[in-house]
Amino acid sequence: MAELTLRKADQPQKGKTWPKPEGATRLREFHIYRYDPDKADNPRIDTYFVDLDDCGPMVLDALLYIKNRTDPTLTLRRSCREGICGSCSMNINGLNTLACTKGMDESAGPIKIYPLPHMPVVKDLVPDLTNFYAQHRAIEPWLKTTSPTPAKEWTQSVESRAKLDGLYECILCACCSTSCPSYWWNGEKYLGPAALLQAYRWLIDSRDETQTERLDNLEDPFKLYRCHTIMNCTKVCPKGLNPAKAIAQIKKMMVERKAA
Amino acid sequence: MRDTVITKDMIANPTSHYGNAKASTRHFITQRVTGAINIVFLGFLLFIVVRLAGQDRADIVGVLGAWWVGVPFAVLIGVVAVHMRNGMRDTLEDYMHGSVYRLAMLLNTLFCLLIALAGAGAVLKIVFWG
Repeated sequence: MAELTLRKADQPQKGKTWPKPEGATRLREFHIYRYDPDKADNPRIDTYFVDLDDCGPMVLDALLYIKNRTDPTLTLRRSCREGICGSCSMNINGLNTLACTKGMDESAGPIKIYPLPHMPVVKDLVPDLTNFYAQHRAIEPWLKTTSPTPAKEWTQSVESRAKLDGLYECILCACCSTSCPSYWWNGEKYLGPAALLQAYRWLIDSRDETQTERLDNLEDPFKLYRCHTIMNCTKVCPKGLNPAKAIAQIKKMMVERKAA
Repeated sequence: MRDTVITKDMIANPTSHYGNAKASTRHFITQRVTGAINIVFLGFLLFIVVRLAGQDRADIVGVLGAWWVGVPFAVLIGVVAVHMRNGMRDTLEDYMHGSVYRLAMLLNTLFCLLIALAGAGAVLKIVFWG
Protein backbone atom coordinates (compact mmCIF):
# COMPACT_ATOMS: atom_id res chain seq x y z
CA MET A 1 0.00 0.00 0.00
CA ALA A 2 1.09 3.55 -0.62
CA GLU A 3 2.25 5.38 2.52
CA LEU A 4 -0.18 8.26 2.91
CA THR A 5 1.08 9.54 6.29
CA LEU A 6 4.47 10.13 7.87
CA ARG A 7 5.77 7.68 10.44
CA LYS A 8 5.94 9.12 13.97
CA ALA A 9 9.72 9.25 13.81
CA ASP A 10 9.55 11.34 10.59
CA GLN A 11 7.06 13.94 11.81
CA PRO A 12 8.68 17.37 12.19
CA GLN A 13 8.55 18.95 15.63
CA LYS A 14 8.94 22.54 16.78
CA GLY A 15 12.65 23.34 16.87
CA LYS A 16 14.91 26.12 18.07
CA THR A 17 14.25 29.82 17.61
CA TRP A 18 17.54 31.45 16.72
CA PRO A 19 18.39 34.99 17.95
CA LYS A 20 17.51 37.98 15.81
CA PRO A 21 20.43 39.85 14.16
CA GLU A 22 21.55 42.70 16.40
CA GLY A 23 20.52 46.20 15.36
CA ALA A 24 18.34 45.03 12.49
CA THR A 25 15.22 47.08 11.76
CA ARG A 26 13.72 45.18 8.81
CA LEU A 27 13.49 41.48 9.64
CA ARG A 28 12.07 38.50 7.74
CA GLU A 29 11.15 35.30 9.58
CA PHE A 30 12.06 31.87 8.17
CA HIS A 31 10.79 28.45 9.28
CA ILE A 32 13.23 25.86 7.99
CA TYR A 33 13.12 22.06 8.06
CA ARG A 34 16.12 20.55 9.85
CA TYR A 35 17.09 16.88 9.92
CA ASP A 36 20.35 15.32 10.99
CA PRO A 37 20.70 11.61 10.11
CA ASP A 38 23.45 11.23 12.72
CA LYS A 39 21.01 12.00 15.53
CA ALA A 40 18.04 9.91 16.58
CA ASP A 41 15.80 12.98 16.97
CA ASN A 42 12.76 13.70 14.84
CA PRO A 43 13.12 16.36 12.14
CA ARG A 44 12.40 19.85 13.50
CA ILE A 45 11.36 23.24 12.21
CA ASP A 46 13.82 25.94 13.29
CA THR A 47 12.96 29.64 13.23
CA TYR A 48 15.50 32.15 11.88
CA PHE A 49 15.47 35.90 11.26
CA VAL A 50 17.17 37.66 8.37
CA ASP A 51 18.15 41.34 8.25
CA LEU A 52 16.67 42.50 4.93
CA ASP A 53 18.94 45.56 4.88
CA ASP A 54 21.99 43.31 4.86
CA CYS A 55 20.84 40.56 2.50
CA GLY A 56 20.07 40.05 -1.20
CA PRO A 57 16.47 39.82 -2.44
CA MET A 58 16.22 36.07 -3.15
CA VAL A 59 15.39 33.20 -0.82
CA LEU A 60 18.81 31.68 -1.58
CA ASP A 61 20.44 34.92 -0.39
CA ALA A 62 18.55 34.57 2.88
CA LEU A 63 19.57 30.91 3.27
CA LEU A 64 23.22 31.82 2.73
CA TYR A 65 22.83 34.72 5.18
CA ILE A 66 21.56 32.23 7.77
CA LYS A 67 24.31 29.73 7.00
CA ASN A 68 27.09 32.34 7.10
CA ARG A 69 25.92 34.39 10.05
CA THR A 70 23.49 32.45 12.22
CA ASP A 71 23.79 28.68 11.87
CA PRO A 72 26.66 27.16 9.84
CA THR A 73 25.20 23.65 10.26
CA LEU A 74 22.26 24.44 7.93
CA THR A 75 22.80 22.20 4.90
CA LEU A 76 21.61 22.93 1.36
CA ARG A 77 22.70 22.50 -2.24
CA ARG A 78 23.43 25.55 -4.37
CA SER A 79 25.77 26.52 -7.16
CA CYS A 80 25.01 28.95 -9.97
CA ARG A 81 22.57 31.26 -8.11
CA GLU A 82 20.82 32.16 -11.38
CA GLY A 83 18.42 29.32 -12.28
CA ILE A 84 20.78 27.37 -14.51
CA CYS A 85 22.14 24.51 -12.42
CA GLY A 86 18.96 23.37 -10.63
CA SER A 87 20.84 22.63 -7.40
CA CYS A 88 18.85 24.80 -4.98
CA SER A 89 15.42 23.28 -5.71
CA MET A 90 13.32 23.04 -2.57
CA ASN A 91 9.77 23.49 -1.31
CA ILE A 92 9.21 27.16 -0.49
CA ASN A 93 5.86 28.17 0.97
CA GLY A 94 4.30 24.96 -0.34
CA LEU A 95 5.58 25.15 -3.92
CA ASN A 96 8.62 23.42 -5.37
CA THR A 97 10.92 26.00 -6.90
CA LEU A 98 14.49 27.27 -7.07
CA ALA A 99 15.59 29.28 -4.05
CA CYS A 100 17.83 31.40 -6.29
CA THR A 101 15.02 32.66 -8.51
CA LYS A 102 12.35 32.96 -5.80
CA GLY A 103 12.13 36.49 -4.44
CA MET A 104 11.43 37.04 -0.75
CA ASP A 105 8.98 39.78 -1.72
CA GLU A 106 6.76 37.29 -3.60
CA SER A 107 4.99 36.33 -0.38
CA ALA A 108 4.03 37.87 2.94
CA GLY A 109 4.64 36.48 6.42
CA PRO A 110 7.18 33.86 7.50
CA ILE A 111 8.78 31.90 4.67
CA LYS A 112 8.49 28.14 5.17
CA ILE A 113 11.20 26.02 3.57
CA TYR A 114 11.22 22.23 3.28
CA PRO A 115 13.23 19.82 1.12
CA LEU A 116 11.59 18.53 -2.09
CA PRO A 117 8.56 16.46 -1.01
CA HIS A 118 8.37 12.70 -0.71
CA MET A 119 12.09 12.10 -1.24
CA PRO A 120 14.49 10.53 1.25
CA VAL A 121 16.33 13.34 3.05
CA VAL A 122 20.13 13.22 3.22
CA LYS A 123 20.31 16.21 5.57
CA ASP A 124 18.23 19.35 6.14
CA LEU A 125 17.27 20.66 2.67
CA VAL A 126 19.23 18.05 0.70
CA PRO A 127 17.11 15.24 -0.79
CA ASP A 128 18.49 11.96 -2.09
CA LEU A 129 18.13 12.16 -5.89
CA THR A 130 19.70 8.76 -6.67
CA ASN A 131 16.53 7.28 -8.16
CA PHE A 132 15.72 10.51 -9.98
CA TYR A 133 19.07 10.39 -11.80
CA ALA A 134 18.68 6.65 -12.44
CA GLN A 135 15.35 7.40 -14.13
CA HIS A 136 17.05 10.00 -16.30
CA ARG A 137 19.66 7.36 -17.22
CA ALA A 138 16.86 4.91 -18.07
CA ILE A 139 15.54 7.03 -20.93
CA GLU A 140 18.99 7.08 -22.54
CA PRO A 141 19.35 10.85 -22.97
CA TRP A 142 21.75 10.80 -25.87
CA LEU A 143 21.64 10.49 -29.66
CA LYS A 144 21.27 6.85 -30.79
CA THR A 145 21.81 6.04 -34.43
CA THR A 146 22.17 3.00 -36.65
CA SER A 147 23.48 4.70 -39.81
CA PRO A 148 27.24 5.13 -40.34
CA THR A 149 28.53 8.19 -38.55
CA PRO A 150 28.88 11.11 -41.03
CA ALA A 151 32.28 12.60 -41.72
CA LYS A 152 31.48 15.96 -40.15
CA GLU A 153 28.33 16.02 -38.02
CA TRP A 154 24.68 14.88 -37.74
CA THR A 155 22.80 17.69 -39.40
CA GLN A 156 19.29 18.89 -38.65
CA SER A 157 16.95 21.35 -40.39
CA VAL A 158 15.96 24.58 -38.67
CA GLU A 159 12.36 23.30 -38.43
CA SER A 160 13.42 20.02 -36.83
CA ARG A 161 15.64 21.84 -34.37
CA ALA A 162 12.75 24.14 -33.43
CA LYS A 163 10.76 21.11 -32.25
CA LEU A 164 13.23 20.70 -29.39
CA ASP A 165 12.48 24.15 -27.98
CA GLY A 166 10.65 23.88 -24.68
CA LEU A 167 12.25 20.47 -24.05
CA TYR A 168 16.03 20.79 -24.05
CA GLU A 169 16.00 23.60 -21.47
CA CYS A 170 15.24 21.24 -18.57
CA ILE A 171 17.85 21.64 -15.81
CA LEU A 172 16.90 18.45 -13.89
CA CYS A 173 16.04 20.33 -10.71
CA ALA A 174 13.38 17.67 -9.87
CA CYS A 175 10.76 20.29 -8.94
CA CYS A 176 8.26 18.71 -11.37
CA SER A 177 8.74 15.05 -10.46
CA THR A 178 8.59 15.70 -6.72
CA SER A 179 5.40 17.75 -7.05
CA CYS A 180 3.60 14.89 -8.81
CA PRO A 181 1.32 12.74 -6.59
CA SER A 182 1.76 9.79 -8.97
CA TYR A 183 5.52 10.08 -8.45
CA TRP A 184 4.98 10.22 -4.66
CA TRP A 185 3.10 6.91 -4.66
CA ASN A 186 5.15 5.11 -7.31
CA GLY A 187 8.47 6.97 -7.36
CA GLU A 188 10.48 3.86 -8.16
CA LYS A 189 8.41 2.54 -11.07
CA TYR A 190 7.00 5.74 -12.60
CA LEU A 191 9.68 7.64 -14.53
CA GLY A 192 8.22 11.01 -13.55
CA PRO A 193 7.70 14.21 -15.55
CA ALA A 194 11.37 15.23 -15.78
CA ALA A 195 12.58 11.93 -17.26
CA LEU A 196 9.55 11.68 -19.57
CA LEU A 197 10.09 15.25 -20.84
CA GLN A 198 13.63 14.23 -21.78
CA ALA A 199 12.34 10.96 -23.25
CA TYR A 200 10.09 12.98 -25.58
CA ARG A 201 12.96 15.33 -26.42
CA TRP A 202 14.92 12.35 -27.82
CA LEU A 203 11.86 10.69 -29.38
CA ILE A 204 11.23 13.69 -31.65
CA ASP A 205 14.85 14.47 -32.41
CA SER A 206 15.05 14.11 -36.21
CA ARG A 207 18.61 12.74 -35.95
CA ASP A 208 17.71 9.88 -33.60
CA GLU A 209 17.08 6.56 -35.35
CA THR A 210 15.81 4.40 -32.48
CA GLN A 211 12.30 5.74 -31.95
CA THR A 212 10.70 2.27 -31.99
CA GLU A 213 13.14 0.95 -29.40
CA ARG A 214 12.63 4.01 -27.21
CA LEU A 215 8.83 3.61 -27.38
CA ASP A 216 9.13 -0.11 -26.59
CA ASN A 217 11.14 0.74 -23.48
CA LEU A 218 8.63 3.37 -22.35
CA GLU A 219 5.50 1.28 -22.93
CA ASP A 220 4.60 0.17 -19.42
CA PRO A 221 1.64 0.73 -17.07
CA PHE A 222 4.01 2.24 -14.49
CA LYS A 223 6.87 3.89 -16.37
CA LEU A 224 4.56 6.02 -18.56
CA TYR A 225 0.88 5.51 -17.77
CA ARG A 226 1.03 6.59 -14.11
CA CYS A 227 0.66 10.13 -15.45
CA HIS A 228 -2.94 11.20 -14.80
CA THR A 229 -2.49 14.72 -16.22
CA ILE A 230 -2.60 16.31 -12.77
CA MET A 231 -0.45 19.16 -14.19
CA ASN A 232 1.44 19.98 -10.98
CA CYS A 233 4.64 19.46 -13.00
CA THR A 234 3.76 22.21 -15.44
CA LYS A 235 2.58 24.52 -12.67
CA VAL A 236 5.83 24.37 -10.70
CA CYS A 237 8.49 24.14 -13.44
CA PRO A 238 10.84 27.07 -12.69
CA LYS A 239 11.93 27.14 -16.34
CA GLY A 240 8.34 27.45 -17.61
CA LEU A 241 8.40 24.09 -19.44
CA ASN A 242 5.39 21.82 -19.97
CA PRO A 243 6.22 18.21 -19.03
CA ALA A 244 2.51 17.25 -18.98
CA LYS A 245 2.20 18.13 -22.66
CA ALA A 246 5.34 16.13 -23.50
CA ILE A 247 3.92 13.09 -21.70
CA ALA A 248 0.61 13.49 -23.56
CA GLN A 249 2.59 13.53 -26.83
CA ILE A 250 4.35 10.28 -25.89
CA LYS A 251 0.96 8.65 -25.16
CA LYS A 252 -0.25 9.92 -28.54
CA MET A 253 2.77 8.32 -30.26
CA MET A 254 1.97 5.05 -28.47
CA VAL A 255 -1.63 5.14 -29.73
CA GLU A 256 -0.60 6.09 -33.26
CA ARG A 257 1.82 3.20 -33.59
CA LYS A 258 -0.81 0.82 -32.19
CA ALA A 259 -3.28 2.07 -34.81
CA ALA A 260 -0.74 1.90 -37.65
CA MET B 1 3.13 -5.93 -10.68
CA ARG B 2 5.84 -7.66 -8.69
CA ASP B 3 6.65 -7.81 -5.03
CA THR B 4 10.41 -7.74 -5.70
CA VAL B 5 12.61 -4.97 -4.34
CA ILE B 6 13.34 -2.38 -7.03
CA THR B 7 17.02 -1.48 -7.10
CA LYS B 8 18.75 1.55 -8.57
CA ASP B 9 20.15 -0.64 -11.36
CA MET B 10 16.64 -1.83 -12.27
CA ILE B 11 15.43 1.76 -12.41
CA ALA B 12 18.37 2.82 -14.57
CA ASN B 13 17.91 -0.08 -16.98
CA PRO B 14 15.98 1.16 -20.06
CA THR B 15 14.44 -2.27 -20.67
CA SER B 16 13.02 -2.74 -17.14
CA HIS B 17 9.26 -3.25 -17.13
CA TYR B 18 6.91 -3.35 -14.16
CA GLY B 19 3.69 -4.54 -15.80
CA ASN B 20 2.14 -5.74 -19.04
CA ALA B 21 3.58 -3.38 -21.66
CA LYS B 22 1.25 -4.17 -24.56
CA ALA B 23 -1.86 -4.17 -22.35
CA SER B 24 -0.96 -0.73 -20.95
CA THR B 25 -1.54 1.10 -24.26
CA ARG B 26 -4.63 -1.03 -24.94
CA HIS B 27 -6.08 -0.01 -21.56
CA PHE B 28 -5.27 3.63 -22.32
CA ILE B 29 -7.06 3.47 -25.68
CA THR B 30 -10.03 1.57 -24.20
CA GLN B 31 -10.38 4.13 -21.44
CA ARG B 32 -10.39 7.06 -23.89
CA VAL B 33 -12.75 5.37 -26.39
CA THR B 34 -15.25 4.27 -23.73
CA GLY B 35 -15.02 7.74 -22.18
CA ALA B 36 -15.96 9.33 -25.53
CA ILE B 37 -18.82 6.85 -25.99
CA ASN B 38 -20.04 7.69 -22.47
CA ILE B 39 -20.46 11.32 -23.48
CA VAL B 40 -22.91 10.18 -26.17
CA PHE B 41 -24.50 7.82 -23.66
CA LEU B 42 -25.04 10.67 -21.23
CA GLY B 43 -27.00 12.60 -23.89
CA PHE B 44 -29.02 9.48 -24.71
CA LEU B 45 -29.70 8.85 -21.01
CA LEU B 46 -30.76 12.45 -20.37
CA PHE B 47 -33.11 12.31 -23.37
CA ILE B 48 -34.81 9.18 -22.06
CA VAL B 49 -35.05 10.46 -18.47
CA VAL B 50 -36.62 13.74 -19.63
CA ARG B 51 -38.88 11.89 -22.08
CA LEU B 52 -40.15 9.56 -19.33
CA ALA B 53 -40.41 12.11 -16.52
CA GLY B 54 -43.69 11.71 -14.62
CA GLN B 55 -44.84 8.69 -16.61
CA ASP B 56 -45.86 5.29 -15.18
CA ARG B 57 -44.24 1.87 -15.63
CA ALA B 58 -46.29 0.96 -18.69
CA ASP B 59 -45.00 4.04 -20.54
CA ILE B 60 -41.41 3.30 -19.49
CA VAL B 61 -41.73 -0.28 -20.74
CA GLY B 62 -43.27 1.08 -23.93
CA VAL B 63 -40.25 3.29 -24.67
CA LEU B 64 -37.44 1.03 -23.41
CA GLY B 65 -39.14 -2.00 -24.92
CA ALA B 66 -38.51 -0.74 -28.45
CA TRP B 67 -35.44 -2.69 -29.60
CA TRP B 68 -33.82 0.38 -31.16
CA VAL B 69 -33.88 2.06 -27.71
CA GLY B 70 -33.38 -0.93 -25.40
CA VAL B 71 -30.54 -2.73 -27.21
CA PRO B 72 -28.24 0.35 -27.55
CA PHE B 73 -29.09 1.18 -23.95
CA ALA B 74 -27.98 -2.28 -22.79
CA VAL B 75 -24.76 -2.07 -24.87
CA LEU B 76 -23.97 1.34 -23.40
CA ILE B 77 -24.41 0.00 -19.87
CA GLY B 78 -21.76 -2.58 -20.76
CA VAL B 79 -19.46 0.18 -22.07
CA VAL B 80 -19.92 2.12 -18.82
CA ALA B 81 -18.96 -0.99 -16.85
CA VAL B 82 -15.76 -1.42 -18.93
CA HIS B 83 -14.89 2.26 -18.36
CA MET B 84 -15.62 1.89 -14.64
CA ARG B 85 -13.34 -1.16 -14.37
CA ASN B 86 -10.47 0.54 -16.20
CA GLY B 87 -10.81 3.72 -14.14
CA MET B 88 -10.74 1.80 -10.88
CA ARG B 89 -7.75 -0.23 -12.18
CA ASP B 90 -5.81 3.03 -12.53
CA THR B 91 -6.59 3.98 -8.94
CA LEU B 92 -5.75 0.52 -7.59
CA GLU B 93 -2.44 0.47 -9.49
CA ASP B 94 -1.58 3.82 -7.92
CA TYR B 95 -2.07 2.82 -4.31
CA MET B 96 -1.89 -0.97 -4.03
CA HIS B 97 0.77 -3.48 -4.88
CA GLY B 98 1.34 -7.24 -5.01
CA SER B 99 -1.29 -9.59 -3.64
CA VAL B 100 -3.43 -6.76 -2.20
CA TYR B 101 -3.66 -5.27 -5.68
CA ARG B 102 -4.56 -8.61 -7.27
CA LEU B 103 -7.35 -9.20 -4.74
CA ALA B 104 -8.72 -5.67 -5.13
CA MET B 105 -8.60 -6.00 -8.93
CA LEU B 106 -10.50 -9.31 -8.77
CA LEU B 107 -13.22 -7.71 -6.63
CA ASN B 108 -13.29 -4.73 -9.01
CA THR B 109 -13.80 -7.02 -12.02
CA LEU B 110 -16.53 -9.01 -10.28
CA PHE B 111 -18.34 -5.84 -9.19
CA CYS B 112 -18.25 -4.32 -12.70
CA LEU B 113 -19.38 -7.60 -14.22
CA LEU B 114 -22.28 -7.75 -11.76
CA ILE B 115 -23.30 -4.16 -12.58
CA ALA B 116 -23.11 -4.85 -16.33
CA LEU B 117 -25.10 -8.09 -16.11
CA ALA B 118 -27.76 -6.64 -13.79
CA GLY B 119 -28.15 -3.38 -15.75
CA ALA B 120 -28.03 -4.76 -19.27
CA GLY B 121 -30.03 -7.83 -18.21
CA ALA B 122 -32.83 -5.67 -16.77
CA VAL B 123 -33.06 -3.57 -19.94
CA LEU B 124 -32.97 -6.63 -22.24
CA LYS B 125 -35.69 -8.27 -20.17
CA ILE B 126 -37.94 -5.28 -20.89
CA VAL B 127 -37.02 -5.41 -24.59
CA PHE B 128 -37.73 -9.14 -25.06
CA TRP B 129 -40.25 -10.02 -22.36
CA GLY B 130 -41.83 -6.73 -21.38
